[in-house]
Amino acid sequence: MIQLLSLEFYKIRRKRLFLMATLFLGVELAGAFMAVSMSLARHPDQEEWMPLLATLSSMNGLFLPILSAVCVSRISDMEHKGNTWKLLLSVSVRRGQLYLAKYICACVILLGVSLLQIAAAAAFGIGKGLWESFPLGLMVQFMAGTLLTNMVIIALQQWLSLAVKNQAFALCLGMLGGFFGMTGDFFPQAVRQYFIWSNYNGLSPVRQSYVDNAIQFTAIDGGALLPQASILVVLGVVIYIAGSRHISRQDI
Amino acid sequence: MSEVISTSKLSKRYGSTYSVQDMNLTVREGDIYGFLGPNGAGKSTTLKMILGLAKPTEGKVKVFGKDFAEERRQILDQTGSLIESPSYYGHLTGLENMRVVQRLRRVPDNNVTEALKIVRLDKHKDKKAGQYSLGMKQRLGIAMALVSWPKLLVLDEPTNGLDPAGIGEIRELIKSLPERFGMTVLLSSHLLAEIEQIATSVGIIHQGKLLFQGSMEELQRRSYPMIMIKTADNSRAQRFLAAEGYSPQLFEDRIAFAGLGDEEAAAVNRRLVAANIDVLRIEEHKKNLEHIFLELTGKERSL
Repeated sequence: MIQLLSLEFYKIRRKRLFLMATLFLGVELAGAFMAVSMSLARHPDQEEWMPLLATLSSMNGLFLPILSAVCVSRISDMEHKGNTWKLLLSVSVRRGQLYLAKYICACVILLGVSLLQIAAAAAFGIGKGLWESFPLGLMVQFMAGTLLTNMVIIALQQWLSLAVKNQAFALCLGMLGGFFGMTGDFFPQAVRQYFIWSNYNGLSPVRQSYVDNAIQFTAIDGGALLPQASILVVLGVVIYIAGSRHISRQDI
Repeated sequence: MSEVISTSKLSKRYGSTYSVQDMNLTVREGDIYGFLGPNGAGKSTTLKMILGLAKPTEGKVKVFGKDFAEERRQILDQTGSLIESPSYYGHLTGLENMRVVQRLRRVPDNNVTEALKIVRLDKHKDKKAGQYSLGMKQRLGIAMALVSWPKLLVLDEPTNGLDPAGIGEIRELIKSLPERFGMTVLLSSHLLAEIEQIATSVGIIHQGKLLFQGSMEELQRRSYPMIMIKTADNSRAQRFLAAEGYSPQLFEDRIAFAGLGDEEAAAVNRRLVAANIDVLRIEEHKKNLEHIFLELTGKERSL
């Protein structure tokens, strides 16, 4: 397994995935930091971390589904383009193991993106003079929610990218995901729970609400998010197993 | 010689159509087995089932005497293959592509260098595989199949896309493999001339069924000569000779005899002249392998 995983990283060596992901994240962070800076300038009393985390959660809903789709598509598409399934299977690689290696590879890349994001957010907050109130608990909660949602979205994107050769479908799903991720909160809870992309906001440790024409930020206790997180874990496992089995049974 | 590959009633059905049906294929150790058939005959599907890339609908595959379904890994560890179009990562160089297979096969660097040298890609190893010509991609595929010096090499149309010089080189390479490395080669092609020059054993497949299997000599023995005699009245000549104990057959504007020696041909000529039937022409027609192949497959058009 370790060998297959290291091989996945070897195979993507010239694809500049990390560079592309970093640039993509840079655009997201630039937008988020600009928005938070303006908000802080208008409301100096809100000099806290919560507006920053809430903005990042909201923008993750738009950017990360698309970034996940692109990364997973690039990792999967190389097997379609070069007809390499035959090559790999004829040297006794198991499809299920290859599926897992690709999944872990994509998760590691998105983990790197999340770590960069949290580091940049911390640097931004400290730069704004919020050093003393550094909310370690909220940061960890924010990161956990982002990672969990990433993992489920990657499972879905990988299934589609490996099952359908034309990557336009996978990228379209990524863009649809971005739309639902951004607008998920406008849908009723009964509908929203089926949009896995809306969990960037749904599992965010900070809630935004409008009271008397003003935005208010509320910290959510991690325990309160556990049921939603558990449902997401179950959904992720189901999607991963279904995808892996489906791909393993396909004829080459 | 022991059997390296044996299939028993191997079948593959897509919907209600059989792509391969009741295939009993036997490849012996040290053979260069030419698997011949027109396009769409079921060659690639058979090879895919032998390598576990497609699941048989019915039947069994044994490789090195072991059941494929039970000992897949051990079998594939000793098997190199190139199926249909070559497989490669276009964004990686030729050498990096070889490294991918090297890591999976766990073989030393030496094997990579040697395999690239054999297929004459050593000078292009640092070029991206996506920029290779079709022939170079094909040679890279062969190098990948050779990198672990397997006991069994399965090549599906290995000379596709190669220029005449390249075809000659690959042909000589394949011919040398059993002796140099003790390999057994199963090679498919729709080109009869190619199989004729390389193979020691042949299997002819058509519409999913194995029509002939045996040594190349056995196939060539079928190319017996036919004596064709054209007379002024072929129908009368046929009746007359049949009454004399011969077995002539009317064939277009001639009567044909199978396995007729020189002296017998002279005797037939004498009898016809004595019976007042003018003999206009006597010719010997030797059937080539192409005729035999067309007879077996019933394909008169392009293969």
